[in-house]
Amino acid sequence: MIEFINVTKHYPGRRHVLREINLRLPKGEMVLLTGPSGAGKSTLLKLLTRLEDVSHGTLMVGGVDLATLKRRHIPAYRRRVGVVFQDHKLLMDRDVYNNVALTLKVAGVPARQIESRVRAALEKVGLGDRLRELPATLSGGEQQRVGIARAIVHTPEILLADEPTGNLDPALSDEILDLFRDFHRHGTTVLVATHDARQIARLGLPALHLEQGRLHAPKEFS
Amino acid sequence: MNLHLRLDALRNARDTLLQQPLATLLTVLALAIVLALPVGLFTALNNLQLLLGQWRDQAQISLYLHNDASAADVAKLRARIEHSTGVVAVHYISRAQALADFEHSAGMQAAVDVLGENPLPASLVVEINPLAQSSADLDAQVQSWAKEPVVASAQSDLHWVARLQAILALGTRAVWILALLLALGAVLVMGNTIRLHIAQRRDEIDIASLVGATRSFIRRPFLYQGLIQGLLAGALAWAVVAVAILSLQGPVDRLAALYGTHFTLVGLRPEQGLALIAISAFLGWLGSRIAVGRHLDHTFS
Repeated sequence: MIEFINVTKHYPGRRHVLREINLRLPKGEMVLLTGPSGAGKSTLLKLLTRLEDVSHGTLMVGGVDLATLKRRHIPAYRRRVGVVFQDHKLLMDRDVYNNVALTLKVAGVPARQIESRVRAALEKVGLGDRLRELPATLSGGEQQRVGIARAIVHTPEILLADEPTGNLDPALSDEILDLFRDFHRHGTTVLVATHDARQIARLGLPALHLEQGRLHAPKEFS
Repeated sequence: MNLHLRLDALRNARDTLLQQPLATLLTVLALAIVLALPVGLFTALNNLQLLLGQWRDQAQISLYLHNDASAADVAKLRARIEHSTGVVAVHYISRAQALADFEHSAGMQAAVDVLGENPLPASLVVEINPLAQSSADLDAQVQSWAKEPVVASAQSDLHWVARLQAILALGTRAVWILALLLALGAVLVMGNTIRLHIAQRRDEIDIASLVGATRSFIRRPFLYQGLIQGLLAGALAWAVVAVAILSLQGPVDRLAALYGTHFTLVGLRPEQGLALIAISAFLGWLGSRIAVGRHLDHTFS
């Protein structure tokens, strides 16, 4: 369960980026977060990854109050979340295997389990035969799939994606979002920020719309 | 903490250092020079102390004995003195030998003949290591010997011992201050080097942080980098001092020969060398810890 209660985010000397956000997203849901550039989508995801602090209000994720979460507990919280970025954020000097394995290493997963889990994650995203390749040798879509494998290899409770198809052509975008639907079918809560109108229409998923920092959500999530 | 994670961090640190061999070499050299300087001065000071400790001709105390002192009492006193702190040797000079030495060294045969009898007392000549105890303790020791029943008077000139010890204490203090300043310099060198590594790997740190890495997970490879470079610098500093000692031995031999003596320079003992490596590794680790800690404070804020 993700719950925003009157959450506001503003930066000193700047306008409010998010205003009085109220949202109840049940466990296992998949929703799209839509809105134009600058609407606050990335900021909302940053609050959920605890890259930013809420200015006012309460943000609960799986029983954890992110507003009061102590610094030393942030890593443990982040290990419960998977994040996919528009620019992939891969380590370009590490091969595909080691990019994905990073998530398991930081979680202290025993070495003997890491290889099998990394292979399984890469198989899921269709890159099982590209383990030892460097990201630079992969296409944009393949790099994004490595980023997705890294985000799901530890089977997170929540998967967040910030414009995951922003740099991809329509066919690749469909592939990537279908992957997210697949993870959702296995019980993961998925929140995908996008402003891709074609995808929004194609997927037919519930959409949370952000406009000038205000959230317009379907009734079941309010 | 899983061992494989530590080994992974160690490999990571090693690979990072090997990927930039020139930068690594320059850092290790800079650290080694910074460490070799105070260690070299400590070694020089140690050798000076050893040399002065052998300077026994000038560190003698003469205890003149009463003419009626029995041989047994003198022997007892001599045995006690031989077991005292800093005493290297005790020589008994009989009255006859003293007279013979006097005649021989001063050419005073005619004067002695006029006296008709031997005016010189027997004595105990005590050779001491002037650096074995403080000048105050040495003075107190001489005073206590002077009060012995068989001793008529004591003669010593120990002012120079006090001056020598004061000069050595000053030198030791100066070297310690220099060592502390250079240790701080070593920490700063390592901290700056690690800051550059952090800047190069900022993306990696940020990504690791995003996927839930703890501070210790992120910090560990950098600490190992500092540790490895510190270890190498310590070993190199030891080698530099050893080579310096070897190269100075020839000139020292020639100088000592001019004074009719022999002196072997002493380098670092194995345990001192290992301590140098350990301290150097610690300084490398500390510099890294400070640099990476400051960065992580920002990353995790």
